[in-house]
Amino acid sequence: MLSLTDISKTFPGVKALQGVSLDVQSGEIHALAGENGAGKSTLTRVIAGVHAPTEGTMSFAGQPVAWTSPRDATAAGIHVIYQEFNLFPHLSAAENIYIGHERRNALGFVDHRRTRRDAAEILKRLGVAIDPDALVNELSVADQQMVEIARALVHDVKLLILDEPTAVISGREVDLLFERLHALKRDGVAIVYISHRLEEIFAHCDRVSVLKDGRHVATRNVADIDRDTLVSLMVGRDMHELFPPRRPARAAAPVVLEAKGITVPGRVRGAGLDLRAGTITGLSGMVGSGRTELALAIFGVLPMGGGSVVVDGTSFTSMTPARAIALGIGLVTEDRKAQGLAMLLDVAANVTASTLDQVSRRGFLDRRRETAIAEAAIQSYRVACRGPSQPVALMSGGNQQKVVVARWARTSRRVLILDEPTRGVDVGAKMEIYRIMQTLADEGLAILMISSELPEIVGMSDRVVVMREGAISGVLERDEIDEAAIVTLATHRDAA
Amino acid sequence: MTDMALPSRDRARLRRMAASNAGLLVVLSLLVLMLLIGAVVSDRFRTFGNVANVFEQSTGLALVSLGQTLAVLTGGIDLAVGSLISLIICLTAGLLDGDGTYMIPVLAGMLALGAAIGLVNGLGVVYLRIHPLIVTLGMGAVLQGVTLLYALGPVGSVPDGFDALAYGTFGPLPAAAVVTVLLYVATALLLRSSRFGRYIYAVGDDGNAAKLIGLPRTQVILFVYAFSGFFAAVTAIYLVARFGSGQPYAGANYTLASITPVVVGGTMLSGGRGGVMGTLFGAYLVSLLNNLLNFLDVSTYVQLMFQGLIIILAVSLYVEKRKSIA
Repeated sequence: MLSLTDISKTFPGVKALQGVSLDVQSGEIHALAGENGAGKSTLTRVIAGVHAPTEGTMSFAGQPVAWTSPRDATAAGIHVIYQEFNLFPHLSAAENIYIGHERRNALGFVDHRRTRRDAAEILKRLGVAIDPDALVNELSVADQQMVEIARALVHDVKLLILDEPTAVISGREVDLLFERLHALKRDGVAIVYISHRLEEIFAHCDRVSVLKDGRHVATRNVADIDRDTLVSLMVGRDMHELFPPRRPARAAAPVVLEAKGITVPGRVRGAGLDLRAGTITGLSGMVGSGRTELALAIFGVLPMGGGSVVVDGTSFTSMTPARAIALGIGLVTEDRKAQGLAMLLDVAANVTASTLDQVSRRGFLDRRRETAIAEAAIQSYRVACRGPSQPVALMSGGNQQKVVVARWARTSRRVLILDEPTRGVDVGAKMEIYRIMQTLADEGLAILMISSELPEIVGMSDRVVVMREGAISGVLERDEIDEAAIVTLATHRDAA
Repeated sequence: MTDMALPSRDRARLRRMAASNAGLLVVLSLLVLMLLIGAVVSDRFRTFGNVANVFEQSTGLALVSLGQTLAVLTGGIDLAVGSLISLIICLTAGLLDGDGTYMIPVLAGMLALGAAIGLVNGLGVVYLRIHPLIVTLGMGAVLQGVTLLYALGPVGSVPDGFDALAYGTFGPLPAAAVVTVLLYVATALLLRSSRFGRYIYAVGDDGNAAKLIGLPRTQVILFVYAFSGFFAAVTAIYLVARFGSGQPYAGANYTLASITPVVVGGTMLSGGRGGVMGTLFGAYLVSLLNNLLNFLDVSTYVQLMFQGLIIILAVSLYVEKRKSIA
């Protein structure tokens, strides 16, 4: 159905895909596996016509194709469910399901009644109780995902690509999703399934292709390989090499920050945790469990609806980012482009952005001093760049992340919060970032690391706090930390 | 969680209806309030003649705001309309120059010119990827310059009988105002029940998503700016029929003025929410307010100040509402 030959895609400064060849047959569920940043999303976007490949050719349904826009790919019968939703928040569920394929009456006008009725039918077939009239922004994240899935079912799709569709749904909804996927497969639809949940790949997929650092590593029949082989193909090295060696446990390090009963309306319900000097605390939980919101509330970005933050004995019932920074708290946000970096400014300006008083005299910047600081940061964080004057937009994700961390490390005396610090960076940069975190902790900083990647949580944390549905569902001390325990706390209602 | 008399589904539907028509409800209540105040403070205000007068005076504003609404619904804005109106007023008066022989081709040409200039705005937004604010602001300056090259002062005149376009009546009602209402109703129906109308909302709600799932985002954007340019030209022809001759700054106030009814009528500047009927009532509200201020002997300069304040107030009102819903 789909065949890719030597596809490469280069963005300024990044080779996202290099010579990927892959074929997907009709009537199969083809898993695409790989670590974050391996190129799965880029490949999806090339197939969907969002990005034109820099090199290589693509054929679809036996014809060579070169999409000029997603519209071409859609018209040819390709439907993608992206990881980030493409729903229209102020249209209803029914309108979202039929957008682009409107139910129309004899006169060619949109038939509102039929839209609603047919949407209700599809949602029922999917086994979810969603009011077709509900505006999408009123739906829960899981329901929004089901609307996305419903949308894929209403028209003739030849190739369906799903990027992490189960990240925000669980249990019965996952089962219903796979029921539909198997039905589509029997109808001859080609399905590309991207997931970090390996058990789903083994339970439902026919073949699996592995991407790593933008290259196609292997394609295997799922029946022919086991979990360990797949993981080693994905990681390309032994897990243990990834993380710095564990340090001996510190005896009773002092608590530098204590969050008590923090509430963020609709997101976090009375969550509390404490952070100790020189300790890396992992914060785990499903997407949407309130992890990020808890961190944002501690840092003062989200208003606290209740609770308090105690820093060195002083209790605050309201927090602002300015106050948090003054208290020596730093936050590396999940989305560095949106919140962390001035992309067009150079490395030096970004490193010193929040400590300008240290590099200015009488209100004027001392550019030489700034450069010196930046050079020191580039060395100690091993930032790969041409020098302090390179704009960060031209650097790879991993190196951008190091610049962000370098900046916050300069202002954070007590606490550094890192939200998904290694998202979208390659393995090498990951190891660097782990090493930096370790060094900062050794210097006495309390680190709170939010991560969706369990190996990262397990490999880096001295303690792990797990959240579920806005509340803390458990705390694991050093000896208790393993993936199974975390998953249990993150998903099950009645976990021990 | 809560036990209420209505099943949650019905409650949700009611709430949603109220939310989606919030702008309409607000602007209608303001309209009624304004009428009551007017009736109390002035005897002449509450005559049928005066109400018909307000209805008629709203026509120019309503026409240009119709196009503006669509631009705003996609998350854009058209700041070229004022200069475009000035240009077409001058060209129409200048080209006709009191002679009705070529009236039809001139008017058709003017409408096409308006749509074409709007289309160029759309092309700038889509292909140069410039923010609509800048594209249309720049285009406005260009058009004002062209207008002044063509005419530094009053120019041309319209043929006899041309003023019927502005002053004709259907029975007791001003014809142009009635036609405007019909145009609004037709546009409202198309927005609600045509595929393209749905895409206009989708593009305004999330333009990136619209592109990713293969909706004709480019065509939508090109269309709304052409539509806005077309209705600026319609407005200009209506105005030149009223004025009888061209003035190079005749349309200048319409840029700001065209946005007031849109935002007062509940269309979000962020796009994706609102509709044209709110704009129509918004236009009535603005005209009514000006009329009332006239009766109170308030100068047109102060009226302009009021308009500016209304825009800011209206936007802040709806911003607040959005927060409480979210």
